[in-house]
Amino acid sequence: MFRLTIALIIAATCRAQSTNPLAGDPQAAETGRWTFRILCAPCHGIHAGGGRGPDLTRGNYSVGDRDQDLYGAIARGVPGSEMPAYGDRLNADAVWRLVSYVRSVARHDAETVPGDVAAGEKVFWGKGACGQCHRVGGKGSGIGPDLTRAGRQRSLKYLRSSVMTPDSDITPGYGTVKVVQKDGKTISGVERSIDNFSVQLMDLSGKYHSFVREDVISIARESRSLMPSYGTVFSESEMNDLLAYLLSLRGSR
Amino acid sequence: MKLLVLYVLAGAMVLAQNDPGSWTTYGKNSQGWRYSELDQINTRTVSKLAAQWMFQTNAAGKNETTPLVFDRMMFVTGPNNFAWALDALTGRLIWSYKSAPQSGLNLCCGAVNRGFAVKGGKLFKVNLDGTILAMDAASGAVLWQTAMEDYKKGYTATAAPLVVKNLVVSGMAGAEFGTRGFIDAYDAETGKRVWRFYTVAGEGEPGGDTWSGDTWKRGGASTWITGTYDPDTNLVFWGTGNPGPDLNGDVRPGDNLYSCSVVALDADTGKLKWHYQFTPHDVHDWDAVADPIPVDVNFNGRPVKALIQANRNGFFYMFDRTNGKLLQAKAYTKVTWADGIAPNGRPILISGQDPTEEGNRTCPGMGGGHNWQATAYSPRTGLYYFTSSERCMLFYKTSQEFVEGQWYQASTVGRSEPGGGRILALDPKTGSTVWHFDTISPPTGGVLATAGGLIFAGDAEGYLIAFDATTGKVLWRFQAGGTIIAPPISYALDGRQYIAVAAGQTMLTFALPK
Repeated sequence: MFRLTIALIIAATCRAQSTNPLAGDPQAAETGRWTFRILCAPCHGIHAGGGRGPDLTRGNYSVGDRDQDLYGAIARGVPGSEMPAYGDRLNADAVWRLVSYVRSVARHDAETVPGDVAAGEKVFWGKGACGQCHRVGGKGSGIGPDLTRAGRQRSLKYLRSSVMTPDSDITPGYGTVKVVQKDGKTISGVERSIDNFSVQLMDLSGKYHSFVREDVISIARESRSLMPSYGTVFSESEMNDLLAYLLSLRGSR
Repeated sequence: MKLLVLYVLAGAMVLAQNDPGSWTTYGKNSQGWRYSELDQINTRTVSKLAAQWMFQTNAAGKNETTPLVFDRMMFVTGPNNFAWALDALTGRLIWSYKSAPQSGLNLCCGAVNRGFAVKGGKLFKVNLDGTILAMDAASGAVLWQTAMEDYKKGYTATAAPLVVKNLVVSGMAGAEFGTRGFIDAYDAETGKRVWRFYTVAGEGEPGGDTWSGDTWKRGGASTWITGTYDPDTNLVFWGTGNPGPDLNGDVRPGDNLYSCSVVALDADTGKLKWHYQFTPHDVHDWDAVADPIPVDVNFNGRPVKALIQANRNGFFYMFDRTNGKLLQAKAYTKVTWADGIAPNGRPILISGQDPTEEGNRTCPGMGGGHNWQATAYSPRTGLYYFTSSERCMLFYKTSQEFVEGQWYQASTVGRSEPGGGRILALDPKTGSTVWHFDTISPPTGGVLATAGGLIFAGDAEGYLIAFDATTGKVLWRFQAGGTIIAPPISYALDGRQYIAVAAGQTMLTFALPK
């Protein structure tokens, strides 16, 4: 195996059936687990408990709860999300095995948060001023990740950790970069692109910058997020309200 | 420059490995040095290097090819069984070849191909479906085609073949799909198989007791990067891949010979002369496929016929290539799994480094260290050049049964912390790094050394970079607009030296202004 980019088996374009032909076969769930660990675990967690990708153990799914919905999400990806299509790498049988595995880990006791969505919306746009960097629908700013579909894309655990300790996982494309210019001025911003010789970034005012390495003193990636921690900003009830609001963001497609 | 003039006088039609203006085998010479004796482009002139032509292949996929150049033509293989012959002066298409890959191929890592081999006007390449074929260089006509193994059983092929006298030597791919690795040699005239060496020792064979039960039948140890040939010893050296399943060794107790090894084979018979296993009973997917390079060096005050390799497990190794005796081994990157290599050649293992169900952090990561990307050796500087990933990973394992057609890897790896890579120059005499250039991403492309005192290498973000071979200073760069996964080459035409490299879906060349 020579790459981390892992492509799996067979370009199969078999039309999906509506129900899982392997439903009830424990061996299908087990072989699905093997594939899950290779292809899905990097985003959905090694036990499907979620991470950057949704928690799949909740037993209900943003793409729909029917077998064919899960099949479609795996085979064709989820437009507007980071979920890619695996239909050209997995044959129909392998996709159904993944569906079997996902079904086998469903707990059906969905994690909930005791917050109020409307109050959370007020916290988001008011006290938190989250819209200065994030967008929901047509409102807000695009400096940070778009949260229009945050409730579909992220688990509660992940959202809570993102608000409390934003450095714990940074969405690809939203890293922090710091440039020290020759006149001593420093610019920090969201990394839009970087290579061994140049950097392109957006500062917190939304202004775009581009630098070539030899024209500046230093270009450094930082492991921190530009987002401050809100762990001490909100009360516990405000935090719960905010999380309830974020979980309610299902977007529209 | 002197060499360039001599070359032009000798006539462009001469086809020989020692012709500095041509590039007629994967590693430039059969020893895989990737060293061009051309010096028109050098440390003083390289800043003027400019693009000459581009050829858009329009073929989707990763381009890992080493192009061949002779008789004024450039021969390029592409992903998905594509190939093209181009005019080396202008990049104009002369002929093209395509063979639609079989459906249902088990490919771990892309529908790639790494290049042609040539002998006497015949080109040789492998196709993804595990076949090897000969083509007429002038027309692209297929002269013979031989199936090495059954693609339906997981056997595929991606590496450039290696011509050794009248033989075409080829490896295979497919260690993630329960295959049994081998190295084959075919008659260049007829395509008939002359010998095969299995890289997984079978039951009853020497080394067969390093497997358990019938696990050798799907032991992996694929041979997916071109080996080298040393005329001095008449030995073919070839690196072998990981044992299967990759990350869970519980089903295959033992050393698992000859996985993660270098094998030295008699070129005429394919008989094993010696072997060395870098990572006995590997559970981290550390294929040992990097080019095994025969070089003559002074070691501890005496001349040695050496063989060197920067292994994916994080150590640099040097052997006496006549007998396989390990002369030295030294880590060139962060290593947490072994506390050095003992005098008997076995790694001094650090406990608690095997993959676990919940993930265990080990350095280097799954991709190494140095992985498969082409390396270079410059007799001018005496240095060995290669790329390395500089990061650790979480290694997971799971129990998994073998099911034909199913990925047989027994789990995965995860990110432990961010990390990039480096391009480095190492002195084989000491095993020490002389210079290195840090890259923000893990390496993708291979390297080229030239008599102009230069090292060329491509990076993940699409830069082709020229370094001073002695100091590592960046002297020139070009943004090619696509990730460079292939190694650069150099050739000469009508008194001008060219640098060529595949970037993205494009083949492009550079030369100095006239």
